Amino acid sequence: MIKFIDFLNILLPFFYVITFGIYSYDFMKGKKELANSKRLFLFITLLFHAIYLITRTIYFGHPPITNVFEIFTVLAFAVSFSYFVLELVTDIRGTGPFIIIISILFQIISTIEIEHIVAVKDVLKSNLLGVHVFSALVGYSGITISAVYGFLYLMLYKEIKLNQFGLIFNRLPSLEILEKLSFSSAIIGFVLLTIAIIIGIIWLPQAFPDFSYADPKLIGTSIVWILYGIGILSKLLGKWRGKKVVILSIVGFIIAILSTMLTNFLSLSFHSFY
Amino acid sequence: MNLLAVSINHHTAPVELREALYLGIEDIKNLAGEAKGKLFSEGLVLCTCNRTEFYGIPVDKNLSYFDVQNFVIEKKATHKINPEHFQSFMSREAVKHLFRVITGIDSLLIGDNQIFKQVKDSFIVSEEMGFSGFLMKRVFDAATIVGKRSITETEIGEGAVTVSYAAVQLIEKILSTLNKKSALVIGAGETGEIAAKHLQDRGIGTLAITNRTIEKAEKLAQSLKSKIIPFSNFKEHLHEYDIVISATSAPDLILTKDDVKKAMKKRNSASLVLMDIAIPRDIDPETKNLDYVFYHDIDSLNIIVEQNLSKRKSEIPKVEKIIEEELDNFFNWYNSLQAAPTIKNLRDYFETVRAEEVGKNKNKFSSDDQEKLEIVTKRIINKILHHPTIELRKSAESGDNGPESATRLGVLRELFGIDNHKPDEEKK
Repeated sequence: MIKFIDFLNILLPFFYVITFGIYSYDFMKGKKELANSKRLFLFITLLFHAIYLITRTIYFGHPPITNVFEIFTVLAFAVSFSYFVLELVTDIRGTGPFIIIISILFQIISTIEIEHIVAVKDVLKSNLLGVHVFSALVGYSGITISAVYGFLYLMLYKEIKLNQFGLIFNRLPSLEILEKLSFSSAIIGFVLLTIAIIIGIIWLPQAFPDFSYADPKLIGTSIVWILYGIGILSKLLGKWRGKKVVILSIVGFIIAILSTMLTNFLSLSFHSFY
Repeated sequence: MNLLAVSINHHTAPVELREALYLGIEDIKNLAGEAKGKLFSEGLVLCTCNRTEFYGIPVDKNLSYFDVQNFVIEKKATHKINPEHFQSFMSREAVKHLFRVITGIDSLLIGDNQIFKQVKDSFIVSEEMGFSGFLMKRVFDAATIVGKRSITETEIGEGAVTVSYAAVQLIEKILSTLNKKSALVIGAGETGEIAAKHLQDRGIGTLAITNRTIEKAEKLAQSLKSKIIPFSNFKEHLHEYDIVISATSAPDLILTKDDVKKAMKKRNSASLVLMDIAIPRDIDPETKNLDYVFYHDIDSLNIIVEQNLSKRKSEIPKVEKIIEEELDNFFNWYNSLQAAPTIKNLRDYFETVRAEEVGKNKNKFSSDDQEKLEIVTKRIINKILHHPTIELRKSAESGDNGPESATRLGVLRELFGIDNHKPDEEKK
């Protein structure tokens, strides 16, 4: 089974790159005939990724959430899976390459660095940890997608304002739709991050003796959470719209990424498992 | 095939002449009535803003397109038409011209979406007049296939190529769900009317018209079933609209940056699309510097139009390839209307049916009877086909391949489904 897991681990980046290639080709050429085949290819990629995650969980006896590179592969899956659901629900197909490229980055890093860890600390086998990490990851994929749509919104806004009617103008959905997609993803991300934070605040002090409220990850996530909270509230109250909200979403995403990198690579906190 | 086609179009004639030659439905019926029997045994008269064309199978082998040209010159003697104003085509070139016309690659506006329907309507008129016979129907069927293929297999008709349609395309890149949006059209002239109609076709939620002359606004509002805003105070209502299209002939600006600023404040900065399609411009171009105000004038809309036109031009080779393929298909069919291949195909078809039925049932007969069965069934088929074969041979020997003979052969092939049912050896 381990050989199969290794084989899938190497195969997954190729699957994502090929899917990205098909989505990008379709974006550049705008050919109608690829509209369904690219979706099918994304589905196949996700299917193989799901098989990889399941076999890994069975073989190692714990879900792949115990170190940053395991988390990266789950994040790669979560981002593309969220996009797949979004594409099915909204039938907006022109934005795939911008999302899938994020999965490629996460998956390549994970494929190169991931190790076979059988023995993990008991604390990391807790079900509450599973819920905490799962909601945090889906929350992060929500804000990732929100930031990508926010970025696309800004690009299209600029093109339209400057009378540059190029590929972005021709292929992307309307500004209003991009804004809605960015906002809906932000809400999903915010709700799930809230759940992750609540579980974290209740459970982490009991589980980790070295728990500290000054933990950089905790501070980073809290800042992200507050930023998104302000943005969502302002938008709902009708005070902010368009550019302001999407810029906030992008800033939130950058802070989230920075805090993750700082926490995990500089090994400054209990949140760093690797 | 001796199909003739004569055309006066934007390649050959100035707009004044094209206007003078424009034929209404009654004119078309009259001309078709006169041409039928005198010039053509069957045919078609096509007329659009930019072309007047005659297609037909001549009644006499010696009739040429000069006779058709003279017929048009005679009928429209009041206009200064001369032979240089005509394009003339024969046989394959005539069919090819119709194919080019129906796909829109011969149109002034390349890829024109209207032309397909206009050609279709012309055929309907021709049919109603009894002017469209067996051959013209097949020409039309082939033209329809070409038209549909060019729409589905190429992007010849994609993208807006008029300023007012480009405005709507641009609006749809800014706002979605137009059925929940409101639009104000300033100016009830032709441009304003076209823009308003495009918006309505796209399902705009609320449409309002304002015009300096209230009567004109009322007339347009009535035909579009839209609201009217008095021109004197339309600025007070500006904030109520998500889209403003201005197309007046006013010499000065009618909307200043300040007006738009005030409206944006009342709108709480909700996106506002301003389309200024007037010359000289109606809206202060400085408004484009305001956040969430999407101001576009004729120049910026023309960028979209030019881009789409060049995209359509790049699709022409693909359309031409489809045309050549369908021309080959059409003439393969037409050439099959020779007597000799039809006799062979007819006999092959009957023999196939006979052999299949004998094969299925011969086990019900004794081995002695099986041989007799073969002989008897072959004899029946020969007797049935004797008379038709003699008649078709007469055709072949006389070398007559005129429209009547072609029609007779075509009907025969259709009746027995010969073109669809090919014998096994041919399939291989």
